[in-house]
Amino acid sequence: MLKDSNKSNLGFTGNWFIDAGILGFVNLMEEVYGWNLNKIINYNFRKEEFYRAYFTYYIKKTSLNWLKNQELKKDIDNDIKKEFYEVRKKLIDEIETLIFPSDKKDPESIRIGIIHLNNEIKNKIFQKFEKFSSCLKKVFSNNKKTILQKINEIGILSYEPFFHNLNFINPGKNKKGAEENILKSFEDMIFRYKIKDELTKNAIDKTISKFLFSEKEFLNISYCKIPTINDLDKIIKNVIFYLLCFPISFVRISDRNIFFYTNNLEASYTINKKIKLLIERLREKNINVNLLKITWSAIVDYIVESKASFSLENMYLVEYGSIQQQEIKNVEYIGIPKLQASVLLDDYLREILNTSLQIQGKNFRGEKNCWLLEEFIKGKPLYPLALQHVKLKLTGDLQQINYSIFYALLIDAVILEFKERQKQKETFSLFSESFFQANYREILKKVKMEFRKLYYHSLSETKRLIPDDDTRKRLGYLLLDSLYGNDKARFLNILLKSVNSSKENINPEFLDLIFEKIVNNDKIWQRHTLFLIAGMVSKN
Amino acid sequence: MPEDKKAFWIFKFGKWKKELNLSGLKETAKKSFENESDSYKQKLVYDLLEATKNKDQNRFFYLLLKAINKPKERNFKELWKKLDQNYDILPQEVFVNFAYSIIIGIMSTYNKGQQKE
Repeated sequence: MLKDSNKSNLGFTGNWFIDAGILGFVNLMEEVYGWNLNKIINYNFRKEEFYRAYFTYYIKKTSLNWLKNQELKKDIDNDIKKEFYEVRKKLIDEIETLIFPSDKKDPESIRIGIIHLNNEIKNKIFQKFEKFSSCLKKVFSNNKKTILQKINEIGILSYEPFFHNLNFINPGKNKKGAEENILKSFEDMIFRYKIKDELTKNAIDKTISKFLFSEKEFLNISYCKIPTINDLDKIIKNVIFYLLCFPISFVRISDRNIFFYTNNLEASYTINKKIKLLIERLREKNINVNLLKITWSAIVDYIVESKASFSLENMYLVEYGSIQQQEIKNVEYIGIPKLQASVLLDDYLREILNTSLQIQGKNFRGEKNCWLLEEFIKGKPLYPLALQHVKLKLTGDLQQINYSIFYALLIDAVILEFKERQKQKETFSLFSESFFQANYREILKKVKMEFRKLYYHSLSETKRLIPDDDTRKRLGYLLLDSLYGNDKARFLNILLKSVNSSKENINPEFLDLIFEKIVNNDKIWQRHTLFLIAGMVSKN
Repeated sequence: MPEDKKAFWIFKFGKWKKELNLSGLKETAKKSFENESDSYKQKLVYDLLEATKNKDQNRFFYLLLKAINKPKERNFKELWKKLDQNYDILPQEVFVNFAYSIIIGIMSTYNKGQQKE
């Protein structure tokens, strides 16, 4: 598609590292200018605007973080404590609402503005905290300094462990009195692409990202030119913005830095925002953060809100740990196959699966429950979980069987059947007829239809034929045992024998069901069998 | 029942491939035993289940053939035909499906309200 060359449309590039930076850039602009995603995507940013936004963001972020981290010593009077926390709260509010002092757009004025903002915040902290100076606990620089000592030393209030190698943010260089030099070196970087003083001055190496080698360490440097900002800038305009915004896209949870990546800017933006929101909400309630669960619920929300029936196949959860180790800790691939996505779009089935299922007994020390929806999206079979759950009911660890497992088993069965059918059809070519005709909607319809029939028979019919609760429970044990042994013949034998000796009329439909779903089904009979057992032992 | 829903069981013997229509077998068993008394069928089913449990094909066919050895009753003719077509020493898995199809067919004819003496 041809694009209007005058318009800058911000979008993902396909390179996750640059894309993380683009998202960071969007976050930065949103935070500082308060614009929405649409406006940021379509706006042509000038370097000066970025310069101003970048430092406003970091100065405020660093000072607020430090303020929040500053605590009092242990044996301090309650009155002083109370006063300190009040003063701190007021100060935080004041700093949050500070605006950039100058409207001029040339680099010179912005530099002066940044220094002014920096000094203003420093002065405010000094003024407000001076009277508490003897009570402040040393929590900075390996518990050697208080906030007052720290800001007395530092030049520009900006702290970003990811960029310690960059001279404008290097703690060794960012000292009091060096503010102007630091900002000038930043200007060198964004206006003239000069990142460092030695070797290739604009090389993209460890100086700009912890994830790369340093230029000297590149093994093929003697016969291969190292990529530079100029090279990259020809492909992606203003790439330096994105390189510098990389850490802003990450959400921080205690010692971990998390970033959700998919190859669509809007989806990534929405989902990351949601993850951040959910984490904050959990933190307020002091609940342990289960990261994957949060990510999943954010993804599910996005799919539901945007009614995206496409498959979100390129999804990664990128994590880097403490920056001393300077490496990516964990990158997890998460993908929702098309089949699962189609089930997720159905409101009823999604709500049914959106439940916590107990799969471990009372005495189990770890996590007893699992989130059914998460397992489903991951493409894991739900049958083993349902099996565990029913077993708990029979051993008395569980009061009532979770209604969701009935649907879970059927969805599992229908999907398996569907895949089997696809496999048979697609033996000859990849793009066979079935590839285009795969009707995922049909699956949902089938699950709902089968449910009615099976649920009635497994619950009511078994109770009518075997009215005594204890007998039914005993039978349940035996049947489950044969299921564990994967022994269809034994299962049928036990079931038919007890039905045969029943004094009640046998509904032929019930027998037809056993025949159709179990006798004549060697691929998925276990699912239907478990459905039957679960219905048999559950209360009405 | 629609064509694709019909139960087939395919088994191979040497080079020969044979298709076993389980659904048809069940239906035939159902028709054959319609007029028998419930208590008789219940006993028969119990014995057949025992034989299947022990994976005893000889005993299963002995019981079944004994039960349908009634030349005067027309109902069984179709089942004779089916057995004539399909009887063989079956692989164990096939036998289990074969046996349960017949057993379920017989059980489907229970009607305890109108017992015949």
